[in-house]
Amino acid sequence: MKDLDELYFPDGILYYQEHTWAKREGDLVRVGITDFAQDQLGDIVFIELPVSDDEFSRDDEFGIAESAKTASQLFIPIGGRIQAVNEELEGSPGLVNAEPYGAGWLVLVKPYDLTELNSLLSRDDYIASLK
Amino acid sequence: MSITLFTSTGCIRCKIVKRFLGERGLAYAEKDIKAEGKEDFQKFYVAHRKSIYRGQEGVEFPLLFDGVAIRQGLAAVTAYILAGKGLDGFVSVGTLHQEWVDGLLVSGGDPSRAEEFMELLRYLKGNNMKIRLDTKGKNSHILSRILDEGLAALVVMEVPGPGALYRRITGEEVDPSDLARSIALTPKFPQYQFQITVAPVIEADGTARYLTPGEVAETARQILEITGSKKHPYLIRPFKPESADDPRLKGLDPMAVQALYSYRTAAREYQVLADLGKE
Repeated sequence: MKDLDELYFPDGILYYQEHTWAKREGDLVRVGITDFAQDQLGDIVFIELPVSDDEFSRDDEFGIAESAKTASQLFIPIGGRIQAVNEELEGSPGLVNAEPYGAGWLVLVKPYDLTELNSLLSRDDYIASLK
Repeated sequence: MSITLFTSTGCIRCKIVKRFLGERGLAYAEKDIKAEGKEDFQKFYVAHRKSIYRGQEGVEFPLLFDGVAIRQGLAAVTAYILAGKGLDGFVSVGTLHQEWVDGLLVSGGDPSRAEEFMELLRYLKGNNMKIRLDTKGKNSHILSRILDEGLAALVVMEVPGPGALYRRITGEEVDPSDLARSIALTPKFPQYQFQITVAPVIEADGTARYLTPGEVAETARQILEITGSKKHPYLIRPFKPESADDPRLKGLDPMAVQALYSYRTAAREYQVLADLGKE
């Protein structure tokens, strides 16, 4: 596993204490797991995700990521209805390891309340929480 | 039938299995999940996810797949290579690591396959593994041979309850003399432990109730009577209803830890080292 200073935490997105990230895209929010989370998991072999139209409240478990060494629940940083699921991950779950903030995104959410984003962490606050 | 062996770089147990395959001239395809076999493992995992055992430390390796069966862990894979399904019952996926190997239940298998089971144990011991054996009393003659050959470092014997209740607890018949011989043999191993799970007993009307403190004490007394000693390690463990197959047992309320203290008190009359075990 990498040291903290070897991990990547981009600006321009918000972070959740459960190691997921949220990026506002108009009235939708894209969600994935952080570089820290994918590094902890190791090579991901399977991801269980919801389907479109599933609904969640913030902090609900919305999926599971499995590697050879561990299985980790995924907690959603914002409540809402699932608009889209990254179907590329079914055949290529390793995308989450390779590009956790890009092609490895998990779900796209139509939030019930965008103000929930206000209580998520900034990049610096998230990094501080990992120390 | 072709064998695929999933391994992990640096996995010593994987090397032991590979050596075993090589000694038998068995061809296999090795897939190192941390190297060239990463993608193959990912595809295999997706296809067989529900059948793959995952322990506290993740997926257990080595993992063997021959198109029919999946076997995981050093003992289970070696047993399958040695005897196919013939040693099922004796062997399951172990949970111990480093120099220990477990998942070996002396009383669980077909006694006609004893020789193969002994061969398995000799091989594991010969590869510097320390063997933990479990027993519930049957196949004491095999346990005796294991003792004579010095193959096991640790034996854990689960004595399910008083002899008269054995069938109602385990659903199996046991020869009381077989059980008694196993009890007598267990303390002769380098390390050993007796234990009892405060398990449900199926009554004549089909309902289930837990063993009583008196019954747990009676089991402790039985160990005293057979071995002549009150100073054996004797662990009293709670039953986990959620792990039961029988729906009558699944519905039982789990026993609170505090309730187990009365069991320990009762058992200490006959086994002074009786203590509570974790789940």
